Amino acid sequence: MDWVAVGLCEDVPARTVVPRRVQNTDLAIWCSTAGVFHAWGDRCPHRGMRLSHGFVRGETLSCIYHGWTYDGDGACVSIPAHPDLTPPKSICAAQYACRVQDGTIWVALQPTQAAVPELGARRAIRSLAVQLSAETLATRLKQPFGPVITLGGAHDIALAVQPSTDTDCLLHAFAAPDQDRKAVSLALEHLRDELEAAA
Amino acid sequence: MSRSINDYWYPVGLLSGIDAPHATLLLGADITVGRTHSAYWVTDAAGKALPTIKRFGHLWTCPGTPMDDLFTIPEADTAGRQLVDVGSVRVKCSPLRAVENFLDIAHFPFVHTDILGAEPHTEVARYNVDIREDANEVWATKVKFFQPQAAKSAEGGITTEYMYRVASPTCAVLYKTCPPRPGEWDVITLFVQPLNEEWCEVWPWMALYDDDSTMAEMVSFQQLIFMQDRSILENQIPTKLPLDPGMEVPTQADLTSIAYRRWLKKIGYTYGAQLVAA
Ligand code: FES
Ligand SMILES: [Fe+2]
Repeated sequence: MDWVAVGLCEDVPARTVVPRRVQNTDLAIWCSTAGVFHAWGDRCPHRGMRLSHGFVRGETLSCIYHGWTYDGDGACVSIPAHPDLTPPKSICAAQYACRVQDGTIWVALQPTQAAVPELGARRAIRSLAVQLSAETLATRLKQPFGPVITLGGAHDIALAVQPSTDTDCLLHAFAAPDQDRKAVSLALEHLRDELEAAA
Repeated sequence: MSRSINDYWYPVGLLSGIDAPHATLLLGADITVGRTHSAYWVTDAAGKALPTIKRFGHLWTCPGTPMDDLFTIPEADTAGRQLVDVGSVRVKCSPLRAVENFLDIAHFPFVHTDILGAEPHTEVARYNVDIREDANEVWATKVKFFQPQAAKSAEGGITTEYMYRVASPTCAVLYKTCPPRPGEWDVITLFVQPLNEEWCEVWPWMALYDDDSTMAEMVSFQQLIFMQDRSILENQIPTKLPLDPGMEVPTQADLTSIAYRRWLKKIGYTYGAQLVAA
Protein backbone atom coordinates (compact mmCIF):
# COMPACT_ATOMS: atom_id res chain seq x y z
CA MET A 1 0.00 0.00 0.00
CA ASP A 2 1.28 3.47 -0.84
CA TRP A 3 -1.21 5.69 0.99
CA VAL A 4 -2.93 4.49 4.13
CA ALA A 5 -5.81 6.32 5.80
CA VAL A 6 -5.02 6.93 9.50
CA GLY A 7 -8.11 8.82 10.61
CA LEU A 8 -10.84 11.29 9.89
CA CYS A 9 -9.86 14.95 10.14
CA GLU A 10 -12.78 15.60 12.50
CA ASP A 11 -11.26 13.15 15.00
CA VAL A 12 -7.98 15.09 15.12
CA PRO A 13 -8.99 18.72 15.73
CA ALA A 14 -6.52 21.61 15.67
CA ARG A 15 -3.99 21.54 18.57
CA THR A 16 -4.32 17.80 19.20
CA VAL A 17 -2.08 14.81 18.70
CA VAL A 18 -3.10 11.12 18.60
CA PRO A 19 -1.24 7.81 18.38
CA ARG A 20 -1.80 5.60 15.33
CA ARG A 21 -0.14 2.45 14.12
CA VAL A 22 0.48 1.47 10.49
CA GLN A 23 2.03 -1.91 9.74
CA ASN A 24 3.57 -2.02 13.21
CA THR A 25 5.06 1.46 12.88
CA ASP A 26 4.01 3.78 15.70
CA LEU A 27 2.96 7.22 14.51
CA ALA A 28 2.03 10.51 16.15
CA ILE A 29 -0.59 12.25 14.01
CA TRP A 30 -1.08 15.89 14.92
CA CYS A 31 -2.91 18.96 13.71
CA SER A 32 -1.40 22.42 14.18
CA THR A 33 -3.27 25.51 15.31
CA ALA A 34 -3.57 26.59 11.66
CA GLY A 35 -5.02 23.17 10.77
CA VAL A 36 -1.95 21.59 9.12
CA PHE A 37 -1.70 17.81 9.62
CA HIS A 38 1.55 15.94 10.26
CA ALA A 39 2.53 12.26 10.56
CA TRP A 40 5.68 11.60 12.57
CA GLY A 41 7.36 8.61 14.10
CA ASP A 42 5.98 8.31 17.64
CA ARG A 43 9.35 8.64 19.32
CA CYS A 44 11.19 11.70 20.60
CA PRO A 45 14.86 11.60 19.58
CA HIS A 46 15.92 12.83 23.03
CA ARG A 47 14.91 9.98 25.33
CA GLY A 48 12.41 7.94 23.31
CA MET A 49 9.17 9.33 24.78
CA ARG A 50 6.07 8.90 22.63
CA LEU A 51 5.41 12.20 20.86
CA SER A 52 1.69 11.34 20.77
CA HIS A 53 1.65 12.24 24.51
CA GLY A 54 2.98 15.70 23.65
CA PHE A 55 1.27 19.04 23.15
CA VAL A 56 0.71 21.37 20.21
CA ARG A 57 1.49 25.07 20.44
CA GLY A 58 1.02 27.12 17.30
CA GLU A 59 2.71 25.27 14.45
CA THR A 60 4.95 23.17 16.71
CA LEU A 61 4.69 19.89 18.60
CA SER A 62 6.42 19.56 21.98
CA CYS A 63 7.39 16.38 23.78
CA ILE A 64 5.76 15.96 27.18
CA TYR A 65 8.91 14.62 28.86
CA HIS A 66 11.37 17.53 28.65
CA GLY A 67 9.49 19.90 26.38
CA TRP A 68 11.75 19.63 23.32
CA THR A 69 9.86 21.43 20.56
CA TYR A 70 9.75 20.49 16.88
CA ASP A 71 8.63 22.70 13.99
CA GLY A 72 6.42 21.65 11.07
CA ASP A 73 9.43 20.13 9.29
CA GLY A 74 10.24 17.93 12.29
CA ALA A 75 13.35 19.95 13.23
CA CYS A 76 14.02 20.52 16.91
CA VAL A 77 13.78 24.27 17.56
CA SER A 78 13.89 24.45 21.34
CA ILE A 79 15.43 22.55 24.25
CA PRO A 80 13.96 24.14 27.40
CA ALA A 81 16.79 22.91 29.66
CA HIS A 82 19.13 25.07 27.55
CA PRO A 83 17.09 28.12 26.54
CA ASP A 84 20.05 29.90 24.93
CA LEU A 85 21.08 26.96 22.78
CA THR A 86 20.17 26.72 19.10
CA PRO A 87 19.55 22.98 18.67
CA PRO A 88 21.75 21.31 16.05
CA LYS A 89 19.98 20.69 12.74
CA SER A 90 20.62 16.98 13.12
CA ILE A 91 17.98 16.64 15.85
CA CYS A 92 14.68 15.92 14.18
CA ALA A 93 11.62 13.72 14.46
CA ALA A 94 11.02 11.03 11.83
CA GLN A 95 8.57 12.44 9.28
CA TYR A 96 6.22 10.70 6.89
CA ALA A 97 4.31 12.08 3.93
CA CYS A 98 0.86 13.21 5.05
CA ARG A 99 -2.08 14.43 2.92
CA VAL A 100 -5.64 15.40 3.56
CA GLN A 101 -8.33 14.39 1.08
CA ASP A 102 -12.06 13.68 1.50
CA GLY A 103 -11.92 14.71 5.16
CA THR A 104 -9.40 11.95 5.75
CA ILE A 105 -5.75 11.91 6.84
CA TRP A 106 -3.53 9.79 4.58
CA VAL A 107 0.02 8.69 5.32
CA ALA A 108 2.71 7.03 3.17
CA LEU A 109 5.42 5.17 5.09
CA GLN A 110 7.61 4.99 1.96
CA PRO A 111 8.14 7.84 -0.50
CA THR A 112 5.61 7.43 -3.30
CA GLN A 113 4.52 9.01 -6.59
CA ALA A 114 1.09 7.40 -6.34
CA ALA A 115 -2.06 9.49 -5.99
CA VAL A 116 -4.11 9.37 -2.80
CA PRO A 117 -6.99 6.89 -3.32
CA GLU A 118 -10.37 8.31 -4.34
CA LEU A 119 -13.43 7.70 -2.18
CA GLY A 120 -15.99 8.94 -4.73
CA ALA A 121 -18.84 11.23 -3.76
CA ARG A 122 -19.12 9.81 -0.26
CA ARG A 123 -18.87 11.42 3.15
CA ALA A 124 -16.92 10.26 6.19
CA ILE A 125 -19.00 8.35 8.75
CA ARG A 126 -16.66 7.02 11.42
CA SER A 127 -13.59 4.90 12.23
CA LEU A 128 -13.84 1.48 13.85
CA ALA A 129 -11.31 -1.09 15.01
CA VAL A 130 -11.48 -4.69 13.77
CA GLN A 131 -9.52 -7.57 15.24
CA LEU A 132 -8.43 -9.02 11.91
CA SER A 133 -5.43 -8.50 9.68
CA ALA A 134 -6.11 -6.35 6.62
CA GLU A 135 -5.55 -9.44 4.42
CA THR A 136 -8.04 -11.58 6.34
CA LEU A 137 -10.52 -8.74 6.31
CA ALA A 138 -10.33 -8.47 2.50
CA THR A 139 -10.63 -12.26 2.12
CA ARG A 140 -13.71 -12.41 4.34
CA LEU A 141 -15.28 -9.52 2.44
CA LYS A 142 -14.41 -11.38 -0.81
CA GLN A 143 -12.69 -8.24 -2.05
CA PRO A 144 -9.22 -7.59 -3.45
CA PHE A 145 -6.71 -6.47 -0.79
CA GLY A 146 -5.99 -2.74 -1.02
CA PRO A 147 -6.11 0.62 0.76
CA VAL A 148 -9.80 1.11 -0.10
CA ILE A 149 -12.50 -1.56 -0.27
CA THR A 150 -15.74 -0.56 -1.97
CA LEU A 151 -18.74 -2.47 -0.66
CA GLY A 152 -21.54 -0.48 -2.25
CA GLY A 153 -24.93 -1.75 -1.09
CA ALA A 154 -27.87 0.35 0.07
CA HIS A 155 -25.57 2.80 1.93
CA ASP A 156 -22.90 2.74 -0.82
CA ILE A 157 -20.18 2.06 1.77
CA ALA A 158 -16.45 2.36 1.10
CA LEU A 159 -13.83 1.37 3.68
CA ALA A 160 -10.34 2.85 3.88
CA VAL A 161 -8.29 0.14 5.59
CA GLN A 162 -5.50 0.98 8.02
CA PRO A 163 -3.47 -2.18 8.76
CA SER A 164 -2.34 -1.45 12.34
CA THR A 165 -0.57 -4.67 13.31
CA ASP A 166 -0.47 -8.24 11.98
CA THR A 167 -3.74 -8.94 13.81
CA ASP A 168 -5.62 -5.64 13.86
CA CYS A 169 -6.82 -2.98 11.55
CA LEU A 170 -8.70 0.28 11.80
CA LEU A 171 -11.45 0.92 9.25
CA HIS A 172 -12.40 4.43 8.17
CA ALA A 173 -15.87 4.24 6.70
CA PHE A 174 -17.59 6.38 4.09
CA ALA A 175 -21.12 6.30 2.66
CA ALA A 176 -23.37 8.11 0.21
CA PRO A 177 -24.07 11.66 1.44
CA ASP A 178 -27.83 11.11 1.76
CA GLN A 179 -27.45 8.15 4.12
CA ASP A 180 -28.29 8.44 7.81
CA ARG A 181 -25.08 8.44 9.86
CA LYS A 182 -26.55 6.44 12.73
CA ALA A 183 -27.99 3.77 10.44
CA VAL A 184 -24.68 3.37 8.57
CA SER A 185 -22.78 3.27 11.84
CA LEU A 186 -25.00 0.45 13.13
CA ALA A 187 -24.66 -1.46 9.87
CA LEU A 188 -20.87 -1.17 10.19
CA GLU A 189 -20.89 -2.56 13.72
CA HIS A 190 -22.95 -5.55 12.57
CA LEU A 191 -20.59 -6.10 9.68
CA ARG A 192 -17.59 -5.97 12.02
CA ASP A 193 -19.16 -8.50 14.42
CA GLU A 194 -19.91 -10.86 11.51
CA LEU A 195 -16.44 -10.58 10.06
CA GLU A 196 -14.73 -11.17 13.42
CA ALA A 197 -16.96 -14.17 14.11
CA ALA A 198 -16.54 -15.78 10.66
CA ALA A 199 -14.08 -18.65 10.84
CA MET B 1 35.74 -9.07 36.27
CA SER B 2 32.20 -7.79 36.48
CA ARG B 3 29.94 -9.39 39.00
CA SER B 4 26.77 -11.22 38.07
CA ILE B 5 23.45 -9.41 38.34
CA ASN B 6 22.52 -12.06 40.91
CA ASP B 7 25.17 -10.84 43.31
CA TYR B 8 23.54 -7.48 44.11
CA TRP B 9 21.03 -6.75 46.87
CA TYR B 10 17.46 -6.01 45.76
CA PRO B 11 14.41 -4.70 47.66
CA VAL B 12 11.51 -7.15 47.76
CA GLY B 13 9.04 -5.63 50.21
CA LEU B 14 8.21 -3.12 52.93
CA LEU B 15 8.88 -4.60 56.35
CA SER B 16 5.60 -3.11 57.53
CA GLY B 17 3.79 -4.78 54.62
CA ILE B 18 5.12 -8.34 54.76
CA ASP B 19 2.88 -10.86 56.45
CA ALA B 20 1.46 -13.99 54.78
CA PRO B 21 3.85 -15.53 52.22
CA HIS B 22 3.51 -13.90 48.84
CA ALA B 23 4.92 -14.81 45.47
CA THR B 24 6.76 -12.27 43.39
CA LEU B 25 9.51 -12.09 40.76
CA LEU B 26 13.14 -11.09 40.96
CA LEU B 27 15.24 -10.91 37.79
CA GLY B 28 12.65 -13.04 36.02
CA ALA B 29 12.71 -15.82 38.64
CA ASP B 30 9.96 -16.78 41.06
CA ILE B 31 10.62 -16.01 44.72
CA THR B 32 8.46 -16.09 47.84
CA VAL B 33 8.63 -13.43 50.55
CA GLY B 34 7.20 -14.00 54.02
CA ARG B 35 7.48 -13.59 57.78
CA THR B 36 7.35 -16.14 60.55
CA HIS B 37 6.76 -14.26 63.82
CA SER B 38 9.48 -11.61 63.70
CA ALA B 39 11.73 -13.42 61.21
CA TYR B 40 11.56 -12.27 57.62
CA TRP B 41 12.53 -14.72 54.89
CA VAL B 42 12.83 -15.09 51.11
CA THR B 43 12.98 -18.39 49.23
CA ASP B 44 13.74 -19.15 45.60
CA ALA B 45 11.62 -21.35 43.30
CA ALA B 46 13.28 -24.50 44.69
CA GLY B 47 12.45 -23.48 48.25
CA LYS B 48 16.02 -22.58 49.14
CA ALA B 49 16.41 -19.73 51.64
CA LEU B 50 18.07 -16.61 50.22
CA PRO B 51 20.12 -14.18 52.32
CA THR B 52 18.20 -11.18 53.67
CA ILE B 53 18.90 -7.75 55.14
CA LYS B 54 16.43 -5.42 56.84
CA ARG B 55 17.27 -1.80 56.07
CA PHE B 56 15.54 1.48 55.17
CA GLY B 57 12.17 0.00 56.12
CA HIS B 58 12.50 -2.67 53.43
CA LEU B 59 13.48 -6.30 53.18
CA TRP B 60 16.39 -6.96 50.79
CA THR B 61 17.59 -10.16 49.24
CA CYS B 62 20.34 -11.42 46.97
CA PRO B 63 19.68 -14.40 44.71
CA GLY B 64 23.41 -15.08 44.19
CA THR B 65 26.42 -14.53 46.42
CA PRO B 66 26.42 -11.06 47.98
CA MET B 67 29.85 -9.58 47.37
CA ASP B 68 29.53 -6.86 49.97
CA ASP B 69 27.10 -5.30 52.42
CA LEU B 70 24.09 -3.37 51.19
CA PHE B 71 24.94 0.36 50.96
CA THR B 72 24.09 2.67 53.86
CA ILE B 73 22.61 6.16 54.01
CA PRO B 74 24.16 7.72 57.13
CA GLU B 75 22.21 10.99 56.65
CA ALA B 76 18.92 9.11 57.06
CA ASP B 77 19.89 8.00 60.57
CA THR B 78 20.01 11.48 62.11
CA ALA B 79 17.35 12.09 64.76
CA GLY B 80 14.14 13.94 64.12
CA ARG B 81 13.39 12.62 60.64
CA GLN B 82 10.12 11.15 59.57
CA LEU B 83 10.72 7.81 57.87
CA VAL B 84 8.09 7.43 55.18
CA ASP B 85 7.18 4.02 53.76
CA VAL B 86 5.64 5.13 50.49
CA GLY B 87 4.65 1.65 49.27
CA SER B 88 5.20 0.28 45.81
CA VAL B 89 4.21 0.99 42.24
CA ARG B 90 4.48 -1.57 39.45
CA VAL B 91 5.74 -0.08 36.23
CA LYS B 92 5.95 -1.63 32.78
CA CYS B 93 9.45 -0.44 31.98
CA SER B 94 13.06 -1.45 32.36
CA PRO B 95 14.33 -1.10 35.95
CA LEU B 96 17.15 1.01 34.53
CA ARG B 97 14.73 3.43 32.83
CA ALA B 98 13.02 3.90 36.22
CA VAL B 99 16.32 4.81 37.89
CA GLU B 100 17.38 7.10 35.06
CA ASN B 101 14.12 9.02 35.25
CA PHE B 102 14.67 9.49 38.99
CA LEU B 103 18.06 11.09 38.22
CA ASP B 104 16.54 13.59 35.80
CA ILE B 105 15.48 17.13 36.70
CA ALA B 106 14.82 18.58 33.24
CA HIS B 107 11.38 16.93 33.15
CA PHE B 108 10.08 18.65 36.30
CA PRO B 109 8.31 21.60 34.57
CA PHE B 110 6.59 19.32 32.05
CA VAL B 111 5.77 16.17 34.02
CA HIS B 112 5.41 17.57 37.56
CA THR B 113 3.97 20.89 36.40
CA ASP B 114 3.50 23.51 39.15
CA ILE B 115 4.80 21.10 41.79
CA LEU B 116 8.48 20.36 41.13
CA GLY B 117 8.86 22.77 38.22
CA ALA B 118 7.06 25.27 36.01
CA GLU B 119 7.66 27.11 32.78
CA PRO B 120 9.45 29.44 32.13
CA HIS B 121 11.91 28.18 34.79
CA THR B 122 13.18 25.30 32.66
CA GLU B 123 16.91 25.94 32.51
CA VAL B 124 19.23 23.31 33.94
CA ALA B 125 22.46 24.95 35.04
CA ARG B 126 25.72 23.06 34.78
CA TYR B 127 26.33 20.66 37.66
CA ASN B 128 29.04 18.20 38.63
CA VAL B 129 28.99 14.49 37.94
CA ASP B 130 31.50 11.87 38.86
CA ILE B 131 31.88 8.13 38.97
CA ARG B 132 33.45 7.41 42.36
CA GLU B 133 35.74 4.48 41.79
CA ASP B 134 36.36 3.82 45.50
CA ALA B 135 32.69 3.41 46.37
CA ASN B 136 31.66 2.28 42.88
CA GLU B 137 28.87 4.85 42.83
CA VAL B 138 27.71 7.64 40.52
CA TRP B 139 27.23 11.09 42.08
CA ALA B 140 25.78 14.33 40.75
CA THR B 141 26.30 17.38 42.93
CA LYS B 142 25.52 21.11 42.89
CA VAL B 143 22.33 20.44 40.96
CA LYS B 144 20.08 23.50 41.27
CA PHE B 145 16.55 23.96 40.01
CA PHE B 146 13.63 26.33 40.56
CA GLN B 147 10.66 24.63 42.16
CA PRO B 148 7.19 26.15 42.66
CA GLN B 149 6.44 23.72 45.53
CA ALA B 150 9.57 21.79 46.44
CA ALA B 151 7.99 19.56 49.06
CA LYS B 152 4.85 19.17 51.09
CA SER B 153 6.38 21.56 53.64
CA ALA B 154 7.42 24.20 51.07
CA GLU B 155 5.40 27.40 50.65
CA GLY B 156 5.85 29.11 47.30
CA GLY B 157 8.74 28.84 44.87
CA ILE B 158 12.39 28.37 45.82
CA THR B 159 15.61 27.36 44.16
CA THR B 160 16.31 23.90 45.46
CA GLU B 161 19.69 22.23 45.55
CA TYR B 162 20.06 18.50 45.05
CA MET B 163 22.62 15.74 45.08
CA TYR B 164 21.97 12.47 43.31
CA ARG B 165 23.67 9.24 44.22
CA VAL B 166 23.40 5.93 42.37
CA ALA B 167 24.29 3.51 45.14
CA SER B 168 23.65 0.32 43.20
CA PRO B 169 22.47 -0.34 39.62
CA THR B 170 18.78 -0.28 40.59
CA CYS B 171 18.89 2.03 43.63
CA ALA B 172 19.32 5.78 43.77
CA VAL B 173 19.28 8.34 46.56
CA LEU B 174 18.30 11.97 46.21
CA TYR B 175 19.49 14.53 48.76
CA LYS B 176 17.48 17.68 48.62
CA THR B 177 17.49 21.08 50.33
CA CYS B 178 15.23 20.88 53.31
CA PRO B 179 12.93 23.93 53.63
CA PRO B 180 12.38 23.82 57.43
CA ARG B 181 16.06 23.04 58.19
CA PRO B 182 18.59 24.95 56.12
CA GLY B 183 21.89 23.07 56.18
CA GLU B 184 20.30 19.63 56.32
CA TRP B 185 19.29 17.40 53.42
CA ASP B 186 16.02 15.60 53.00
CA VAL B 187 16.58 12.06 51.77
CA ILE B 188 14.35 10.55 49.08
CA THR B 189 15.20 7.19 47.60
CA LEU B 190 14.11 5.02 44.73
CA PHE B 191 14.67 1.33 45.29
CA VAL B 192 13.81 -0.74 42.23
CA GLN B 193 13.03 -4.46 42.29
CA PRO B 194 13.58 -5.79 38.75
CA LEU B 195 10.66 -8.19 38.17
CA ASN B 196 12.12 -8.83 34.74
CA GLU B 197 13.92 -6.78 32.10
CA GLU B 198 10.81 -4.82 31.14
CA TRP B 199 8.77 -4.75 34.34
CA CYS B 200 9.63 -3.47 37.78
CA GLU B 201 8.32 -2.84 41.25
CA VAL B 202 9.41 0.56 42.47
CA TRP B 203 9.75 1.22 46.21
CA PRO B 204 10.23 4.92 47.00
CA TRP B 205 11.25 5.68 50.58
CA MET B 206 11.88 8.97 52.36
CA ALA B 207 13.61 10.29 55.47
CA LEU B 208 12.39 13.87 55.84
CA TYR B 209 12.41 16.72 58.30
CA ASP B 210 8.77 17.70 58.21
CA ASP B 211 6.87 18.43 61.40
CA ASP B 212 3.80 19.86 59.70
CA SER B 213 2.60 17.20 57.30
CA THR B 214 0.92 13.99 58.33
CA MET B 215 2.34 10.67 57.21
CA ALA B 216 -0.65 10.24 54.86
CA GLU B 217 0.03 13.63 53.26
CA MET B 218 3.69 12.85 52.66
CA VAL B 219 2.81 9.46 51.17
CA SER B 220 0.18 10.86 48.84
CA PHE B 221 2.46 13.70 47.72
CA GLN B 222 5.15 11.22 46.71
CA GLN B 223 2.63 8.86 45.12
CA LEU B 224 1.22 11.69 43.00
CA ILE B 225 4.75 12.52 41.81
CA PHE B 226 5.44 8.90 40.99
CA MET B 227 2.16 8.40 39.10
CA GLN B 228 3.20 11.29 36.87
CA ASP B 229 6.56 9.59 36.29
CA ARG B 230 4.87 6.30 35.48
CA SER B 231 2.93 7.90 32.61
CA ILE B 232 6.33 8.67 31.07
CA LEU B 233 8.10 5.42 31.91
CA GLU B 234 5.48 3.22 30.30
CA ASN B 235 5.67 5.18 27.04
CA GLN B 236 9.35 5.30 26.20
CA ILE B 237 10.56 3.45 23.12
CA PRO B 238 12.40 1.15 23.39
CA THR B 239 11.30 -0.18 26.79
CA LYS B 240 14.87 -1.13 27.66
CA LEU B 241 17.55 1.47 28.33
CA PRO B 242 19.83 2.00 25.30
CA LEU B 243 23.43 1.91 26.58
CA ASP B 244 25.13 2.51 23.25
CA PRO B 245 25.29 6.10 22.07
CA GLY B 246 23.46 6.90 18.84
CA MET B 247 19.92 5.90 19.59
CA GLU B 248 19.12 8.85 21.86
CA VAL B 249 20.42 12.44 21.97
CA PRO B 250 21.71 13.62 25.35
CA THR B 251 22.59 17.24 26.19
CA GLN B 252 24.49 18.86 29.04
CA ALA B 253 21.41 18.60 31.27
CA ASP B 254 21.69 14.81 30.90
CA LEU B 255 25.17 14.46 32.39
CA THR B 256 23.87 12.24 35.21
CA SER B 257 22.15 9.94 32.74
CA ILE B 258 25.28 9.79 30.57
CA ALA B 259 27.42 8.85 33.60
CA TYR B 260 24.84 6.29 34.78
CA ARG B 261 24.79 4.57 31.38
CA ARG B 262 28.57 4.65 31.12
CA TRP B 263 28.90 3.19 34.62
CA LEU B 264 26.39 0.40 33.91
CA LYS B 265 28.39 -0.53 30.85
CA LYS B 266 31.65 -0.42 32.77
CA ILE B 267 30.44 -2.70 35.55
CA GLY B 268 28.69 -4.95 33.03
CA TYR B 269 25.19 -4.46 34.44
CA THR B 270 23.12 -4.93 31.29
CA TYR B 271 19.93 -6.48 32.67
CA GLY B 272 17.17 -4.20 31.32
CA ALA B 273 19.57 -2.56 28.87
CA GLN B 274 19.51 -2.53 25.09
CA LEU B 275 22.97 -2.90 23.66
CA VAL B 276 22.50 -2.57 19.92
CA ALA B 277 20.40 0.06 18.21
CA ALA B 278 17.01 -1.41 17.26
S1 FES C 1 12.22 12.56 25.63
FE1 FES C 1 11.28 14.10 24.47
S2 FES C 1 12.05 15.88 25.31
FE2 FES C 1 13.10 14.36 26.40
FE1 LIG D 1 9.75 12.68 37.89
